[in-house]
Order: sequence, then structure tokens, then C-alpha cells
Amino acid sequence: MTLQSRAGGITGRPKPVSAALLVSLVILGVILLVSPAIARSSSEPGTKSDSKCLKCHSRKRNKTLKDGDVLSLQVSKTEYANSVHGDIGCTSCHQAIAARKHPSRESIASKRQLSLTLNQSCRKCHAKNFKVYESSIHASLVAEGNLMAPLCTDCHSAHAIESMAVYQPVTGLPCKKCHENIYEAYAQSVHGGARANGNVIRDSHIQAPICADCHQAHGVTAVAASNYLQSTCLDCHPDASLAHRQWLPNAGLHLDVVSCAACHAPLAERRINLELYDNTAQLPVGQHNDHAQIKKQLHAIDETGAGLDPLELWNLVRANSEDGQETDITLRGRMEVSTGPEAHRLAIKAEAVRNCDSCHHKGSDAFQNVVVSITRPDGRQISYEADKEVLSSIMSVASVRDFYAPGGTRIQLLDVLLVLSLVGGLAIPLGHITVGKILKKRTKQGDQ
Amino acid sequence: MQTTYADHFRHGDNYINPLPVRIWHWVNALGFVLLILTGFQLRYMDLFRLLSFEETVKLHNWTGFVVIANYFIWLSFYLFTDKIKVYHPELDAKKFFSDSFRQIRFYSYGIFKGESSPHRVSPYDKFNPMQMVAYQVMMLVVVPIQFTTGIMMWDVKRFGNWIELMGGIRVVDTVHVLIFILFVFFILVHAYMGALGQKPSTHFKEMFTGYEEKD
Repeated sequence: MTLQSRAGGITGRPKPVSAALLVSLVILGVILLVSPAIARSSSEPGTKSDSKCLKCHSRKRNKTLKDGDVLSLQVSKTEYANSVHGDIGCTSCHQAIAARKHPSRESIASKRQLSLTLNQSCRKCHAKNFKVYESSIHASLVAEGNLMAPLCTDCHSAHAIESMAVYQPVTGLPCKKCHENIYEAYAQSVHGGARANGNVIRDSHIQAPICADCHQAHGVTAVAASNYLQSTCLDCHPDASLAHRQWLPNAGLHLDVVSCAACHAPLAERRINLELYDNTAQLPVGQHNDHAQIKKQLHAIDETGAGLDPLELWNLVRANSEDGQETDITLRGRMEVSTGPEAHRLAIKAEAVRNCDSCHHKGSDAFQNVVVSITRPDGRQISYEADKEVLSSIMSVASVRDFYAPGGTRIQLLDVLLVLSLVGGLAIPLGHITVGKILKKRTKQGDQ
Repeated sequence: MQTTYADHFRHGDNYINPLPVRIWHWVNALGFVLLILTGFQLRYMDLFRLLSFEETVKLHNWTGFVVIANYFIWLSFYLFTDKIKVYHPELDAKKFFSDSFRQIRFYSYGIFKGESSPHRVSPYDKFNPMQMVAYQVMMLVVVPIQFTTGIMMWDVKRFGNWIELMGGIRVVDTVHVLIFILFVFFILVHAYMGALGQKPSTHFKEMFTGYEEKD
């Protein structure tokens, strides 16, 4: 039964006017529902002033900068209109521009300089994310004058801004743009593979992580800084601690001093990173004081530049401990993967290193590469090569006092003492028996 | 024919090693041998591999706990009985040195001439002066340090503060290994000296029966 016939049934006659009204309302509703979508898909940006801007800027225009570089002033109408900023208006970001104040005659030093100036515009609307960004390793590199360090527009683009959620899970951009080798390694990892496979790992549907899930989108920290990455792993793998405790002796210690990737990227080259650490301040040396000074000191100690030997390393620790009277400086050891790309090539659980013998024996690959690191205030580390003997010298008792792997980093002098004790323990009985026999023989000869 | 306990009693043999001491001694001996072997493997996996590292750690830890528990059998026995007299130190320095000298002379010369040991064993005077000092240092200083460092390394995180107080894990491990080296020497010499009784088997039998056979 239709609405019309039912209404007619009540009144006895049809009411075409009411039906027309109803149809009109439905059409209006549909128009209202779809109108934003139509607006978003149109190639016209939201405000009237934008049309004015784009009147010129949609055409091909260039500006020669002070450094000789050429800046394109062209903005794609469609891209901008379809971007998440499509309806906020050009002057929301280009605040220095008004009807009678157009900087076309002002010279621009360089593309980078322009981006640096405009970067501050983002802060106005995205204060929270901008603050997080300012604490990141990216912002730290920008402050250092690194021209490759990303500004907001390097990741989000200037005019074709999209929500990160739209494109990163598919392409790896924008991180891949600068960290391509790392992204390629990630793509081959269990995480990358799962993503390519529709987020399926071992027949289970799992939301596999991409760059920002582990490193954060805006607050990207130096990998060496704190145990941030390990806690990120444990966030998604909360049972990992317990699972390790089921079989791994001193599991808590292993989780502290062995990076997840050192075992879960089984083909990666590993190394021991000895970080100069201030036990008194509970901070890495260099993070709260002058790392450049320590850098100089390190160069002075390692005169030959061939890498720190056990004595030089001991001198470095001693020099820093004496410097501040009450400071207690030590070297915190950590096993990690030698390179960033290798650290991202995480394998499936079944392929992870589970054989203790792989590290706990003399000559293990894990202890062939040793670096000594000073941590900069932003968390990045400056690493210097060290002789692998620093881990097995008797001087390590004083210098590398907080890092020890039974079997793998055993002190050679103690091996000598063990041999002496074995020889002595066998020589005493044998010598005593021999002396006894000689004396008995002489006594017999004397009696005869 | 096998000698029974009644025979020992009839012969007036000295009851030198009561049951708790014998239990402690042999559990300790077996424990030490296991700890030395597993400790050797943990340290020299590249040279000596009977078990996997993981199994060796487990065996080493469990043996360690058994030896620690066993230590308290020894400690309780001597603390709560008058047999503690066997560990009373000789406070007369002159007597100590002269007795020690006689004992050294015996082991380095007299024993080969068929002389008897200058120290006569009795239930309350079991050790010669050098043995007494050696065992006191061993049981009251060296062994407890070995237990402590071993426990610290059993769970490094749990005992992190204590390890830090001792100067770091390297110090703890180095002390543990130095004592291990001392024990390797001790166990070899101790076993040999155990064979220097009237007959090579005399002291070993004593440690099984508890009785010192009269000459």
C-alpha cells in the first residue's frame, strides 16, 4: 500500500499537493546531503578571495629567487580545492598577503627560506601537533640548519594537503621520500609483508604498523633516545615480556640491553653500543652537558683515530668521572642492529634468534663490532669505533662495568688464571707423588 | 667382610663425621662438581658443549640453590651442637705456627718416611691447624660470597641495586669467576689430600661411615 492510497483511504480523496510537498522535501534533503560532496569535488576553492588569488596563481608563473633558484607560483586549482585546506582560504596560511599588500616585489632568499617562514602559519591551527613537532628530531635538524630536514609542507605538501590516514598506509609516503632504504627494508619485514597481504599475519587479521605507528607522526625521536622504541613494540605485543620470561634466563635484563631487532631481525649485523652514561644525573653524558667538549676529549684520547682501545676507553671514563668530582660515569652497553635499514627487516617470530649460544660464546658475531657513543641533547648519538677487546680486557671491570655477556665477553686474564689453577691443582698431587717416589727410592738405596 | 657400625663402636673408633655433616659433604661435593662443570661450559661454550646454553643455565641455577640450601644444613648443625668446637680457632699464635710447621713437615717429608700425622683426629678436634683456617675462610667467607654473587647473577634486574653497590655486573662476575677458579684448584687438591690417610681410601671411608678407623 502506498502512502498516497492510504491517505486517500482516510479522507476518501487523494491529496496531490501534500504528495508534491513530500517529494520536494525528499529532493531537498538529498541535495543538502550531497551538496558538501559536490562542493568538495568541484574544482573551485571555497572562498571568493581564493578565486581572486587563483586567477593569477592557477597560471604558470615563476619567480627567480635570490639564490638563483626558480620558484613556481602556480597552484593547481583542483588539487587545492580537493585538499583538506580547500575551504579555509589562501590567506589563512599566506597571512602576509592582503589586497593592497602583495609581496610580489619583495625578494625571497630561497625556497627553503620561504618554507621556513610559512612553516609558522601551521602553528596557528595545529598548535598541538606543531608543539610535538618542535620536540622532534626533525625540528632539531631544522634548527641545526639541515636543509634536508622536513618542514610541515615537506610531509603534508603545500597545497594538496591530505589526511595522513589517506595515503601513508598505502604508499609509505611521506617518510619513504627521505628514508627510502629503510622503507624498502620495512616492506620486506613481517610488518610490511602483513600490510601488503591485507594486514594478515599467521591467518589472523592484524593491523600491522607503518612508520608513524612506531616512530610517531610529529614527535619523531632519535632511535637511540631512551627505550622508546622498545616500549612501542611492547604496546602492540603486550605478552612479549611474559613470553620471554617463559624461557629466557634474566629476561628483564635481556629486554633492557638487547634491542628487539637484535634478535627479531636475525640476518642483521649486530653491534655493541657503549653509551657514556652519568649515573649521578641518570642521563646519558652529553645530553645535559657539553657534548662537544666530550667529543674533543675523545679525539684527544684516541690520538691515532684507530678506535678506542681498552686503556683509552678506561681513560675516557676516568677523565669524565674526575672532571666533576662527584659524578659517576660508566658505559651502558646495549646490543643493537648496526644499521637503520637492517633494524626494520623484522622477521616472523619463528625466525627470530632464540639460540643463546649465538651470543654466549667467545668470538660471537655480536661482539665483533663495538662503538662508544656520546648522546647529543636531542637524543642523537655520535658513535666512535672501539676495539672489540674493550669487552674482554681486565680494564672493562672498571670501564664497561655494567655490560657483560657470560661466555661472549669473558675477560681473557681470568682464562689464564683458570689454566694456572688447573695446572697447579694437578701439579701439586703429581709433584707430591713424584717426590714421595724419589724419597722412597733413595731410602731403599740407602738401606741397601 | 664389610665393617658394620657396631664393629666401629666395638673397636672404639672415633665418630668424627655425624650424619648431617656427611650428607652436607657429599651433596656439596656433587653440587660443586656440577657447578664447576656447568660453570665451565657457560664460560667456554666454544670449547666445551655437553648441553645447550639454556639447559646449562637452568642446571647451574638449580644446583646452586641446592648447594645453598645444603650449606644451611652444615651451618645449623654446627651452630646448634657443641661440635662447633672443631672450628674454634687456635688463639695461641705460637702453638698455631708450631703445629702448622709440624703439619707441613709431615706432608712434605714425614709422610714419605711412614710417619704418622702429628695431628690426632678426635670428634672435637677434627682439623689440623691449617685445615681449620682454610675451612673457616672457605665456609664463612668464600662460599657465602660465591652464593651471593651467584644469586645476583641469577636475577640481575631484581638485585640491580646490590650489583650497583658492588660496582657493577662485571665486578660481580669477576669475583664469581675468581672464586670458581679457586674452587677448581681446591677440589683437585682436596681430593688428593683426602687420599693421604693411612690408606688412600681411609678418609673417603670416614666420610661415608662417619668413623675414623683406628690404626
